Amino acid sequence: MSARPIATTRSATGIPTGRLAVWWVIVSEITIFGGLIGVYLMHRLGHPEWAEAAVHTKTWFGAFNTLVLLTSSFTAVLAHQAAERGNGKQAAKLLMMTVGGALTFLVVKGIEWADEIQHGYTITSNTFWSFYYTAAGLHALHVIAGAIIMCFIAADAVRGRELHRVELIGIYWHFVDLVWIFLFPLLYIAK
Amino acid sequence: MADHQPAQSSSDERVQRDEHADHDEHVDYRKIYFTLLALLVVSVAGPFLGILWVTLVTAFGIALVKANLVLQNFMHMRTEKRVIKWILVSALALMGLMVAGVAPDVMRHEGQNWVNVAARDAVARGLSGGHAEDEEGEEEIEVVPEVDPTVFSAGATFNITCAVCHGEAGDGAGPAGVALTPSPANFTDPEFWATRDADRIFTVIRNGAVAVGGSPLMVGWAFAYDDEQIQELADYVIAFRPGGQ
Repeated sequence: MSARPIATTRSATGIPTGRLAVWWVIVSEITIFGGLIGVYLMHRLGHPEWAEAAVHTKTWFGAFNTLVLLTSSFTAVLAHQAAERGNGKQAAKLLMMTVGGALTFLVVKGIEWADEIQHGYTITSNTFWSFYYTAAGLHALHVIAGAIIMCFIAADAVRGRELHRVELIGIYWHFVDLVWIFLFPLLYIAK
Repeated sequence: MADHQPAQSSSDERVQRDEHADHDEHVDYRKIYFTLLALLVVSVAGPFLGILWVTLVTAFGIALVKANLVLQNFMHMRTEKRVIKWILVSALALMGLMVAGVAPDVMRHEGQNWVNVAARDAVARGLSGGHAEDEEGEEEIEVVPEVDPTVFSAGATFNITCAVCHGEAGDGAGPAGVALTPSPANFTDPEFWATRDADRIFTVIRNGAVAVGGSPLMVGWAFAYDDEQIQELADYVIAFRPGGQ
């Protein structure tokens, strides 16, 4: 048996096992975020009064965080490119820049939420704010999880180990970006 | 899966790398990134025009374009095996099915035999009260009305409890009422009021129609409501009387 038979071999689908697994994770995430967003849409359309609550979300905070996540997706895909070329050091550096994006996102989110909570908009204010904190909060947990995993992968990559994992975390990270791409217009633009 | 050998796995790695080299050559990530940023600017600028359909297009249309760019180029869906597309599409289709199935119940607040009183009240409350902004545009603490489901409302109680037989319009044509003999009282019928007064209405709601020699189908509600609430219900019923009280 090979020393490392799991992630490097091909599965029946012709897709490396690790990558297939990440896609399955994303499929389950689609049902989680899709369900949340679907339910939000139904309530938003059934409750005209939500427009009055939605007015108070801070578009510029949302827009800046979209910029941050798009940029971090860009560095994540560049890290993948570097890993493909066998340049683990470069891949690790770009992954850490992505982690920087994740941290920036969380800091901005923290400032935004602190301000909103100070103004009395909390998760129990009304159903709109419940959705707002639930959806953005669940997304923020994914950002935190991604950042932690990227640190581990970068630590390996810098030594030239497990470079295929750079692509795997990248796919996950782009998905986190995708979710935000939809949360941004839902919570900040269409109001 | 189980029959792989070391030699095979190393050649597999080479195949993977070749596949990746494929999208490596053809995708200009920088160009995709700047396109995404330009689209972000458009989606933020859209609402400034103040036109609803422009806002919706720049918000959700552009979100779909951005999502597709990320999916095709950053997640390499363009060169990914087809089975992945099918898995993702299946998940999205099931989501759509769930939403389509639930949406009518959530988005509508009343149907043939039901009323979502809580949702309807929430809309009414939200549209009448709500947030407050002073002239400088600075936000004040939102006054969130305390929602207490235990607060009694004669109208809501009538629509939930009484209207099943008597109908929301008080005309005795509630969904369960049509099956009853004798028919439930029609509060909009002047003849009905010829022999009724406020005290009698109160007594019947409180102790049931049997207390005044009427049908046992109209049960008493003293176990559920106190006298003050029953008085409010009686007033609500009397308000159906044609030509006022």
